[in-house]
Parts: sequence; C-alpha cells; structure tokens
Amino acid sequence: MRPILLQGHERSLTQIKFNREGDLLFSCSKDHVINVWFSHNGERLGTYDGHNGTVWTIDVDFITHPPLSCIPAVSHTIRSPNVITNPLDSGSAESRFLVSGSADNTMRLWSVQTGKCLYRWEFPTAVKRVAFSEDDQQVVCVTEQRDGTNQSKEPESFFNPTGSKAVVCAFATPNLILTGHESGKVALFDAKTGDEVLNNERAHMDVVTDLQLSPDRTYFITSSKDKTARLHDTKTLQVLKTYQTETPLNSAAIAPGKPYVLLGGGQDAMSVTTTSLRQGKFETRFWHKIFEEEVGRVKGHFGPVNTIAVSPKGDCYASGGEDGFVRVHHFDESYFRAKPYGDLEVEE
Amino acid sequence: EDAAEESNISAELIAQRQRLVDEWNAWRRRCKDELEEERKKRGKKVEPKPKEPEEEEKEEIE
Repeated sequence: MRPILLQGHERSLTQIKFNREGDLLFSCSKDHVINVWFSHNGERLGTYDGHNGTVWTIDVDFITHPPLSCIPAVSHTIRSPNVITNPLDSGSAESRFLVSGSADNTMRLWSVQTGKCLYRWEFPTAVKRVAFSEDDQQVVCVTEQRDGTNQSKEPESFFNPTGSKAVVCAFATPNLILTGHESGKVALFDAKTGDEVLNNERAHMDVVTDLQLSPDRTYFITSSKDKTARLHDTKTLQVLKTYQTETPLNSAAIAPGKPYVLLGGGQDAMSVTTTSLRQGKFETRFWHKIFEEEVGRVKGHFGPVNTIAVSPKGDCYASGGEDGFVRVHHFDESYFRAKPYGDLEVEE
Repeated sequence: EDAAEESNISAELIAQRQRLVDEWNAWRRRCKDELEEERKKRGKKVEPKPKEPEEEEKEEIE
C-alpha cells in the first residue's frame, strides 16, 4: 500500500471527503483553504478560496448529473440544529455541490467544477460540521454554541437541544438528524420540529469526534476521545460493536466491501516516550468490524490523525493529519485477497 | 494484511466467529428488508443512479 502524499495545506487537516465515484478527494484545513485532489495520483485540481478562518468541515453531494431540481433546497443547522432555505434558483444547476463550514461563522455552498462560491450563510458562531442528506436536497450543520439570538437566513427549522452540545451530525433519513455530542451522547432529532426523538446518553464516555454512516445509513460509526469507536444501529441507537483502543480517537470510517473499520487518533501513552515524532509513527488502525479485533496498522503521519475517509468503492482510503498532510493509500491486491479469518461471508 | 495463524485457531473460536457473522448477517438482512419496505411506503424508490461516464468535465476546475 504505497501512499500518495498530498502536500498543499499549511496547517492541520480538519476533514477529508471522497466524492461518490472516489476519483476526487476534498480536504479542508485550519489554513482557511479547501482543496480538491485526484485520488489516483494526488494531483491538486483546484482550491476553493474564500473562508477567513479555519475550515472545520466539508461535504460533497452525491449527484453526478444533477437533474435541474437538485440544488439543495433546505438546510438544517444544529447549534443546535436548524434548517435554512437555499435561495438559489433551482434552474441553474449543472454541476455538483460542495458545502463547507468555517470558524469565520459562515457556511458556504460551492460549485465543485468552477470553484465559485455560490452562496453563503451567516451564523453568529463557527460552523463545526456540515452534511448533505441522502437526496442532496438538504444540508444540516452544527454551529458552535454561544449565547445570543440566532439570526441565520431563514432556517426552516432550528433547534437548540438542551443538555450537552452537538458536535457532529448527519441525516439518518430525510426527516431525522443524527447527532453526536460533547458528553458522548448520540441522538436523533426530528428535522422539522427539532424534537429529540431518541438518544443514547451513554454511547461514549467523552466527546464524540466523528460520525460516519454506512452507505445505506442503517448503521453508523462514531469515534471518541474516550479511546473507543463504536458501531450503532441508526434506528435504535443501540451499540452494536465496540472497538477499544489505547488512544483518544479523532476519526472512524467504515470500509465498503470489506468487514473492516478504520480508526485514527493520537498516540498511546506508552509509545510517547519510545517513539520519535519525526518517524511518522501515528497510525491508522484497521479493525475487524464484526469481531472487534485489530487486524493491522498503517503508519505515516507525524502527528495525530485527525480525519479518515474511505472511498465509496472501497479501493482506497485517505487520512488527514495534524501534520498538515493528507495520505492516500490505494489498497493493493493482497488487501482484497486477504481473508485473515477464513471464508466467512459478511454482509455489507 | 496481518498473517492469520489459521492453523492454531481453536474450533471453539471458529464457531464463535461463525456465530457472530451469522448474527450480523441476519441483522443486515433485516435492515435491508425494512429499508426496502420504507422506501416503497414513501413511494420513492431510491436506487443508486446508473453511473454515466463523465470524467472529462471535472478537469475544468482550476
């Protein structure tokens, strides 16, 4: 698995995302910039310039050839979750969309192809997480919690859940928003009313740092500073699997096509004294999704792994580090051939 | 990639793994059935859209 090193960010990576085809990789960073790269050779295609602060989060839609009506029409913010109407005329769509959230208190909508910022939403606080719905018609975002009135552009729905603040979010269904919280809670909110429909207060014992859904959105993985990653049933929020590591985790991803999950974070306390930072010892860990056992590690970053994404086709994955680098790993043949547990057929 | 020590895995462990996989597969099938059901109910079949060849257009980004 020879990695391709993507050099272009000057500060630590905050989130990376593949498009559906897996040929493009989007990255955002504390250096205010969003980049898009060819995943097969690491060539940078372009930059989305405009944010005046750390870009915390990005998401790219799933539509290759959008029908005319496919501009995201509605957006939800969670600051509390809330929902905004996109004022863009739905007739102008011919490209795909990228949405980003930043410490400059804006969420922006970009044309993937032209790199132009198509729209910006202003918030009173930083936008920490954004996510498209499955049909790309809606966007949900989490904004930083702070006192004061919310003056965002016409949220269709806006909710301010009591208790621990939300830190990550996604659409479970077009009507349900899934959130991960500072306290370790995960919850489901009604996208229209903002009511908390269901929660699991003890999903994690510390901050939820990442939340990624399975392709059909029926289950999802979370990572946490509590050193575990967990797989949850979207419908019941029950914990299905727990991956217990020895380091605080920043990111967790589900590998399509193979029964693995990928976890990334800091370094375990024991290795700190024995490992030189220069050696690039920070690892992405591969765990067996069903058996909850570690199956392998890939070294590389010179600092904690902040974000991991697996290509939807399952042929490569990428990690973004505190060190400012993105590493893209194309799985080689042995990865696909390997059956460390014999001939067990695991359903996707 | 890690080599499996297949030879010395006990039969018990293999049975345990089989059970876990069976459990998982049964749950996955239930999920997929329910999903199909719900989508039918909503009346909009969300199928993965057929992939059309469209590599060239993306290269215009600069």
